[in-house]
Amino acid sequence: MANPVRAIWDYLKEISGENAYDRYLAIHAATHPGKPPMSRGEYYRARQDEKYANPGSRCP
Amino acid sequence: MNLLGRYGIWVGIAIVGASCWGVLALSQGETINAGWLLFAALASYAIAYRFYARFIRDRVLGTDDSRATPAERLNNGRDFEPMDRRVLFGHHFAAIAGAGPLVGPVLAAQMGFLPGTIWIIVGVILAGAVQDMTTLFFSMRRDGKSLGQMAREEIGPVGGAAALIAVLSIMVILLAVLALVVVNALAASPWGAFSLAMTLPIAVLMGVYLRFLRPGRVLEVSLIGIGLLILAIIGGGWISESSPYAEAWTFTPNQLTFALIVYGFVASVLPVWVLLAPRDYLSTFMKIGTIALLAVGIAITLPPMNMPRFTEFAFNGQGPVFAGALFPFVFIIIACGALSGFHALVASGTTPKLIQKESQVRPIGYGAMLVESFVAVMAMIAAVTLDPGVYFAMNANPALLGDTVQSASQAVNGFGFSVSPQTLQSTANAVGEDSIVGRTGGAPTLAVGISAIFAGVTGIFGAALQAFWYHFAIMFEALFILTTVDAGTRVGRFMIQDLIGNVWRPFARPSWLPGNIIASALIVAGWGYFLWAGVNDPLGGINQLFPLFGIANQLLAAVALTVGTTILIKMGKFRYAWVTGLPLAWDAAVTLTASWQKIFSTDPAIGFFAQRAAAQQSIQAGQLNDTMAALGAASIDDARQILVNTTVDGVLSIVFAVAIIIVIADASRMWFGIIRGSKEPELSEAPWQESHLDSEGNEIEREPVGAR
Repeated sequence: MANPVRAIWDYLKEISGENAYDRYLAIHAATHPGKPPMSRGEYYRARQDEKYANPGSRCP
Repeated sequence: MNLLGRYGIWVGIAIVGASCWGVLALSQGETINAGWLLFAALASYAIAYRFYARFIRDRVLGTDDSRATPAERLNNGRDFEPMDRRVLFGHHFAAIAGAGPLVGPVLAAQMGFLPGTIWIIVGVILAGAVQDMTTLFFSMRRDGKSLGQMAREEIGPVGGAAALIAVLSIMVILLAVLALVVVNALAASPWGAFSLAMTLPIAVLMGVYLRFLRPGRVLEVSLIGIGLLILAIIGGGWISESSPYAEAWTFTPNQLTFALIVYGFVASVLPVWVLLAPRDYLSTFMKIGTIALLAVGIAITLPPMNMPRFTEFAFNGQGPVFAGALFPFVFIIIACGALSGFHALVASGTTPKLIQKESQVRPIGYGAMLVESFVAVMAMIAAVTLDPGVYFAMNANPALLGDTVQSASQAVNGFGFSVSPQTLQSTANAVGEDSIVGRTGGAPTLAVGISAIFAGVTGIFGAALQAFWYHFAIMFEALFILTTVDAGTRVGRFMIQDLIGNVWRPFARPSWLPGNIIASALIVAGWGYFLWAGVNDPLGGINQLFPLFGIANQLLAAVALTVGTTILIKMGKFRYAWVTGLPLAWDAAVTLTASWQKIFSTDPAIGFFAQRAAAQQSIQAGQLNDTMAALGAASIDDARQILVNTTVDGVLSIVFAVAIIIVIADASRMWFGIIRGSKEPELSEAPWQESHLDSEGNEIEREPVGAR
């Protein structure tokens, strides 16, 4: 993490949810061995639909 | 432990902070540099975070890191999931920060820079951040229950119903006010209208890219989107310079209102991936980026503050931007940034389900709110660095200003400030607009302030580009206001579907198309009405609607603080109940005083019903009376419009005030019952379970069974 640009980029990746799929793969492999995981596209679409089907609120 | 080594640095920060405050309050110089304000704020935040937030964490709430959070116990890899505290901080901040902290301080600047600044800083430390942190904690202890659910369970069904009314009505007023800000910023501005319209195709492009071409690659598509946005701003400049195109992109306020209403409805009915989700990414990155740039810009240019400490409007209540004296109206107009009830909805929804460790409610709840407050301070700085004459010519009730720079200059002289017609024209030319007179709503003022600061920075490199920066700022504000309009309409739609679904089942299914369309239409009709009324209000819509929005927002804060106080008393922490109790008392005093004045004041500039009476007299007499004319009404039709608007606004004020009284009365029955011992304090916390995560979220080796 010596490189600050790299650190910011990694933070943005984490915050924007780009890394979520990699974590999902790890959790899926551990909890459902043998069952094929969703593809990146399927996973992303499912997460997006879920997020907005149950909207929180935001500040003005 | 060496006491000096431990606290020495804090003594230093306290001295720096106190000196900055001293300069702000007492300096005799001509103008005061904004740097003093910046450092006074930062030092105050640091001390509050180190000492007060820690006191709340350890003594008042008593967070327990050996207790598993809902994210750990219920981890499903979706809505419940332990998230790194730094990432969650970013998410939470993006969710609470919107256009509110940018608009309120700009309007409050009419009273001078000091009242608003003190409230933003003191308010966030003692009230706003406390509300966010405690609500987050209590919701986390209840597996992420919403504020409404907590109000129902901890106070009773009456409190719950009042919370629901507050949420729905605040949503409608909020969306109307924000949409009104956009209309005022884009009317008669081909540059602004074009670049904002371009965000629609850009968003659709991003949506298709994210959904089908390169799913989930959020960062690269956001970079593409931001690049296209900048092109759209540059393109807007060309459009505004070539007359046939400029004419085609020049819209009246009513055309923009119609477009926004249609847009809001369509965006709410469409699947989210088309518009809302990509816009969400775009506006989040724009928001964080612009705020960071603004902080750097202010730190580099250190502009002087041209607005005086106090103007006479703080005391006589005759301000041309909005009517009413310092108390209570500064505390109503500046909601976000100091105390915002809306945050209680965020703090009791998504965020509590993602916290790794209980003690992290301090950085996330308290810390994120401090940053939002800092945004409000920067908005205040941007507004008060403007020439006060320009500020009033932009923000005063347009009916008083007239249409020309000459009439505006005269009107500003009447307010006790001075600005030449030439200055008004040259300011407009510098930002690439035909006129800046009567551009109410806060956004254009802020954009002029921001563009001056950014131009100061880029000017160092030889190109000021103020017109580009002005439209960059307008686009940035309009973009995330529209995102709030999309998202808010959708939230309101779901609430209505849920409400009707209790009576008629099929409605509760979010995907049922007729339900979707009817509920969307209802919510859009709600805010659309207020938007239309605001745009056509003969007395200027913002000054009528913004106080109402503030009151609704503070009503929600009262609900959140009441829930917090109730839970503290139930936890047996009566000793510390003042931590939420005092902000609640203050909030109730402010909100009820403001409501009282809005309902009963005999001054027609403030009281809705006094205004209504004057309008009615005029209509009956068949000609405008002096009161109406002094307010800025021009015809009997204006008086009719005022009659309708004031009736609606007045009735709403009554509903809000009654709702606050009911919630507090209902809860205090509970408080006294518990203190006297006649009521059993029933806590609905989820039971204790041991945590197996360390503070970085790593699994701790489980001890073998029987070892304990």
